[in-house]
Amino acid sequence: MNCDSAKSRIFPYVDGELVPAQRDEMDAHLSGCGSCRRFVEQELHFRDAYVSRLRPDPAPAHLRESVDRLLAGFTGGTITRRRPRYRRVVLAAVAVVLVGAGAALGIGLSSMLQRGNLLAELTEASVDQHQKLASGLLPPDLVDASPKTAEAWFRRRLDFNVNVPELKHTNLTLLGARISHLANVEVAALEYQVDQNNVSLFVIPEEAYKRLGLSEKPKFKMLHHRGYDVIIWRQHGSGYALVSEIGRRSCLVCHSPDEKLDVPLESLATPKRRTDT
Amino acid sequence: MGVRAPLDKGAEFQAYVRGCLDSLHNYARLLARPREDHEDLLQDSLIRGFQGFDSFDRALPFKAWMFGIIRNTCIDRHRRRKMRLLEDPLDDDQSSAGLDSPLYSIPLAPEDILLREEAIEEVRAGIRRLPLLMREVVELRDIEELSYRDIAAIIDRPIGTVMSRLYRGRNLLRTYLVEPRRQDGQATRIRHEL
Repeated sequence: MNCDSAKSRIFPYVDGELVPAQRDEMDAHLSGCGSCRRFVEQELHFRDAYVSRLRPDPAPAHLRESVDRLLAGFTGGTITRRRPRYRRVVLAAVAVVLVGAGAALGIGLSSMLQRGNLLAELTEASVDQHQKLASGLLPPDLVDASPKTAEAWFRRRLDFNVNVPELKHTNLTLLGARISHLANVEVAALEYQVDQNNVSLFVIPEEAYKRLGLSEKPKFKMLHHRGYDVIIWRQHGSGYALVSEIGRRSCLVCHSPDEKLDVPLESLATPKRRTDT
Repeated sequence: MGVRAPLDKGAEFQAYVRGCLDSLHNYARLLARPREDHEDLLQDSLIRGFQGFDSFDRALPFKAWMFGIIRNTCIDRHRRRKMRLLEDPLDDDQSSAGLDSPLYSIPLAPEDILLREEAIEEVRAGIRRLPLLMREVVELRDIEELSYRDIAAIIDRPIGTVMSRLYRGRNLLRTYLVEPRRQDGQATRIRHEL
């Protein structure tokens, strides 16, 4: 066996996929060839250090729930439940008809309600995700990372700009980061601790944020929902939602303690979520 | 003649799926076009899988069996839409080429494979950058840890095709991981102590 031939078999060799005769041939070549042996050692190191640690990304919570619902209908030898997809199609058709009817009537009311509903949905989803992050139900994919590392991590996974603020306060810790979903929108989720209080920051694509139809001023909007404070704003081409139980103190995630916030927070009444359409 | 213990088919199928849902989800997400269809693709595949569960050989990996169903479901969906599943930049005829072909020479010397600090993330991101046909095989082998034979069955191609795609995919991945040497001539090597 020559070196070209040996190099062409390195991958099946380290994968344990060579038949015994080929493996013996390879072993014999490696025992006398330092150059090829170096390739094999490098490949084994690469595998041990990195490849062996690769795992499939965890399925998102909403998918697990929908699969659970589907599987629950698999009883005995039959499928007893209607496929959820059909229900979604029917709901989508109803939504299309409703939107079409509203447009035909020339009434802006439906879009106003829709915007209010979107804001309620975002608020509810932010609080829900915050609770899951804080309780460990949604484990971070990236832990003990610096803001810059987290930013680079998101850049490789999301197609919108994610700015992760520098840590400007000694009692502020970035616990972890993960990709999350708020009302079916893929967002960057960052989990912090501020003076032992859990704070979640969600970075939302600008396009999704714009659909909320919020006015530009005042810049920061605060909502209170289920005992949590949710601050929403837009900056650097992204939307942000900050969830905590500590109100304005959660702003330490982005601002240093001695930094004066000259922009007042506007408290908004949390719109009721409409679930009847 | 062996007799299998009477098990509730639904409960058994559910247990299998729950044991590998992350993998099934990832594979559906890899294949689905448009990408947002992957949840529908997964649900359709699970229904098909359950309907054909009697034919599943319990001696084989369930995950690999379901991957084959996901792939076939995906192809059927695309055919219905009169679209091609995969724009295949690799001619399958190449798979019959011998492993000794110079086409397979490894392009990188070991000392050229240099990684940044977030190496594991670099590897993940690099795999995502691979062309679909290579990425599929690299993921099935390096993340799902399936054998060449299982992968060949899933993609319905000879083992030689699996080997050639894997070879090209891994080599391409390594070219992504090469870090340009720093101005001072220093570079960060793979940190084996991780």
